[in-house]
Amino acid sequence: MYCTVCVVHYMSNGTHNGTEVFENLRLELRRGCLTLAVLIQLRSERYGYTLRKALADDGLEIDEGTLYPLLRRLESQGLLVSQWREEDKRNKRFYRLSPMGSEILEQLMSEWQSINASLGKILQEA
Amino acid sequence: MSKLKNPTELVDRYLQAVRFWLPKTQRQEGLIAELGEDLRSQIEDKESELGHPLDESEVAEILKRCGLPMIVASRLGPKRHLIGPALFPIYAFVLKMVLMWILVPLFLVVLAPINIAQAGADWGGALAGTLGELCSALFIATGIITVIFAVVERTQVLEKTRAPGFVCWDPLNLPPVQKERKPSTLQAVCELAFGFFALIWLLLLRQNPWLILGPAAVFLKAGPIWHVFYPVIVALSILALLRTATILAKPQWTLFPLASLLSHEVLGFIVLCFLLSAAGAAPNGEWHPFVMLVQGVHDSASHGKVPGIVNISILVSFVIWWFAQGIALLVHAFQLLQRIRERSAQAQQTASVQAHS
Repeated sequence: MYCTVCVVHYMSNGTHNGTEVFENLRLELRRGCLTLAVLIQLRSERYGYTLRKALADDGLEIDEGTLYPLLRRLESQGLLVSQWREEDKRNKRFYRLSPMGSEILEQLMSEWQSINASLGKILQEA
Repeated sequence: MSKLKNPTELVDRYLQAVRFWLPKTQRQEGLIAELGEDLRSQIEDKESELGHPLDESEVAEILKRCGLPMIVASRLGPKRHLIGPALFPIYAFVLKMVLMWILVPLFLVVLAPINIAQAGADWGGALAGTLGELCSALFIATGIITVIFAVVERTQVLEKTRAPGFVCWDPLNLPPVQKERKPSTLQAVCELAFGFFALIWLLLLRQNPWLILGPAAVFLKAGPIWHVFYPVIVALSILALLRTATILAKPQWTLFPLASLLSHEVLGFIVLCFLLSAAGAAPNGEWHPFVMLVQGVHDSASHGKVPGIVNISILVSFVIWWFAQGIALLVHAFQLLQRIRERSAQAQQTASVQAHS
């Protein structure tokens, strides 16, 4: 009985740790991809909510607490420009890529393609 | 809770709650405005999807999905820390040194014995008082060190050290990798020989007090206190001899020298404690002497003061020895713990490598 309890406890603990590890790794993996996805989406001007919707429609859900600080960071790095404008009687902040952002996006895209190709090769070999 | 006339008022209440946890800057106001706009857009979308204005509970559902205001604020706000990752290892090191290696030994080895000695019969109260003072001292020291490091972090003193050209360290000056030391055979042989002769000397002392008292053995003799402690000291010497012999015979037991040294020191410390308390436990406020005058020379004026001087000297030596033994004990206990931790880490590493190969 005692052994069974221990084994069950160990297994549940192990599963819990496994989930946590997976979640951390998933977030790490997503972080860079999200930045790239946001930059790609902002080749055309959007405001926060429509950007979130566009990303979610393509399968990349992103919550408010993640998106807005990310947009701020990218803007402070000079990759985005923003502007408050009234639309439908409400003030909205519109974002788009800056000229420097477009250049960096090109470089990031080629880096992404290179990583993707390498991973595909590694997966085929494995 | 009263029903709201306008359910979107909940959004304003929500934003107010988020704002409460954010630093009051223009940048954060912008973030709050954007969050508000996002939430209102979500409400609008939901309304056009359902074909009717949202009620209170439906708006609340959207806000619930957005998250607890405090958590949302922590994500929106700047990433803040009291002591950053660059400074943290130094902070942890200083904290450990001050708390574990200065305050704890100072209180346990120096202040506690003094307070207990002064308290007399109420030694329990004195001990509890000292422990309370130790807790306060640990708390205050932690606070002061944390404040100092937080100030350093805020003033970004370390930024200067990160500037190119400032860093002048050379990897060639790094200390060599510490390997687990195997006990030296020569050292063990010397210890064994010395221990053997010391034991012989100790055994001969009883019949030949001149071996320790020299010419003073003519008029001085050991006090009755040694009737109890002499056999114990002989037993300790035999144990030390056995320990050294085991180190010589089993050099592969790399943990044994330190573990057995610590055990021996604990025993020695206990014996010293009993010896000191027995010396001071005599009735009439006097104390049991370590040496006394041989019968027949009691009235000699020239020898009268000698036992007093010798007894005080022995007492002071024992007290100093007791302090030193206490400190050595703490140091060796820490070293043993570290060694055990390193071993278990190595064992885990080996097991993991074996499991993966």
